[in-house]
Amino acid sequence: MSHIELDRERCEGHGTCEQIAPNIYQLDDEGLVSILVDQPLPDELVGAAEAGARVCPLAALRVVDGS
Amino acid sequence: MTARRPRRNIVIVGGSIAAVTAAQVLRAEGYQGRLTMLSAETHLPYSRVPLSKSVLSGAADITTCALPISTESVDVRLGQPVVGLDDQAHCVHVANGDAINYDGLIVTSGARARRLARPGQSGEYVLRDASDIPALVERLFAARTVVVIGAGFLGMEIATTCTTLGLDVTVIDRDPPLRRLLGTWLSALVVAKAEASGVRFVRADKGVSLLGDGHVSGVAYDDVTLQADLVISAVGDIPNTEWLQRSRLRAAGAIVVDQQCFASPDIVAAGDVAAIRQPDGSITRLPHWNNAVRQARTAALSLLHGRDAPIAEPDHYFWTDAFGMQIKVCGRIPEQHDPIILERDDTQGSYLVQWTGSDGNPSAAATVNRKLPVVKLRRLATDAGVVAT
Repeated sequence: MSHIELDRERCEGHGTCEQIAPNIYQLDDEGLVSILVDQPLPDELVGAAEAGARVCPLAALRVVDGS
Repeated sequence: MTARRPRRNIVIVGGSIAAVTAAQVLRAEGYQGRLTMLSAETHLPYSRVPLSKSVLSGAADITTCALPISTESVDVRLGQPVVGLDDQAHCVHVANGDAINYDGLIVTSGARARRLARPGQSGEYVLRDASDIPALVERLFAARTVVVIGAGFLGMEIATTCTTLGLDVTVIDRDPPLRRLLGTWLSALVVAKAEASGVRFVRADKGVSLLGDGHVSGVAYDDVTLQADLVISAVGDIPNTEWLQRSRLRAAGAIVVDQQCFASPDIVAAGDVAAIRQPDGSITRLPHWNNAVRQARTAALSLLHGRDAPIAEPDHYFWTDAFGMQIKVCGRIPEQHDPIILERDDTQGSYLVQWTGSDGNPSAAATVNRKLPVVKLRRLATDAGVVAT
């Protein structure tokens, strides 16, 4: 099972993750990332979660295999 | 264009965000063939964004900036600078003598820091790659005075970090600091903060040269010489295209591609190495993070799907962090016009501002130390009458 590791301290709210995977990531009213889906991630969402995580300029997101 | 033999052997030249994004998109699209990434760097892919800030100050280690990449699905080869392209034979030449064949090539070889040193001069520091960090950090901790040449985003970020470390900082440029990037009003805000932090700004409109016959000992401009323990140049970048010179893609500067990132039927390019020819004939190079991501995505899809791939729309979003001000900008700031101040909080030093063009419609919007979802900032940069909440 995979889940998203978020280092919220690092997030600067550039929204690149949200652009790539809007069904997984969204910037909240504070302008910082929030995760829209339940964890652990359903298999069908892992690819999108990884794609969104990979483009974070602050490397604040990571999809890890938690099994 | 879609009925073509599927590709089975794609090579990516480069190892940064554009390269990583292209690799990921290829695999996500179901590409099952060989995928080789040739990176000149010795580090696994990482983000350059924190280099001038937390990494330079010592607050973060480069390993914390790693970009996730699956080395199981991508054959990542580090320390492999590509030195030549034979596009007729469909192969690239690596510095170690290897020739690597491809049936699809993704050019994401990036750019390198421009330097001012004359032949024989050493000790001009730049900050572009992780490999620039160790020597620069060592000098930073030994120096007392530093001259930063270049008052763009990178120069100002470096100056910020130097100030934090207690150094005596002079920033020198031929143009007013940040003016071209942020316009008169916003650049003045940053300059005021920088000066309050003790930074001196020098205008050298005839340009700057480095002092010293061997080791660089300072800078000279007009009739003035300025000694410094450390000189750091942040004077722009040069696309890494020399390896294309003997191919049909040879370019002076960036490699020019179409909106689908094609340079030729089997070669695409993305990121800082690329410039896009727009339908009106203009050529735009936007070496920012989001464009590297967008172009790499398009480039990968173009290799797989040909002309059915979506075009890489330019994204005029960028940000910087200098002297305690986090600034995010969407759109193009008119240099001379002052913005409309939509919100201002002096206790936080925060602003939300919007510029309008000559037609009265919004052309850009920016936040300073103001948290706002980027989608709202984007809307403010394009839509009239939008109220930010």
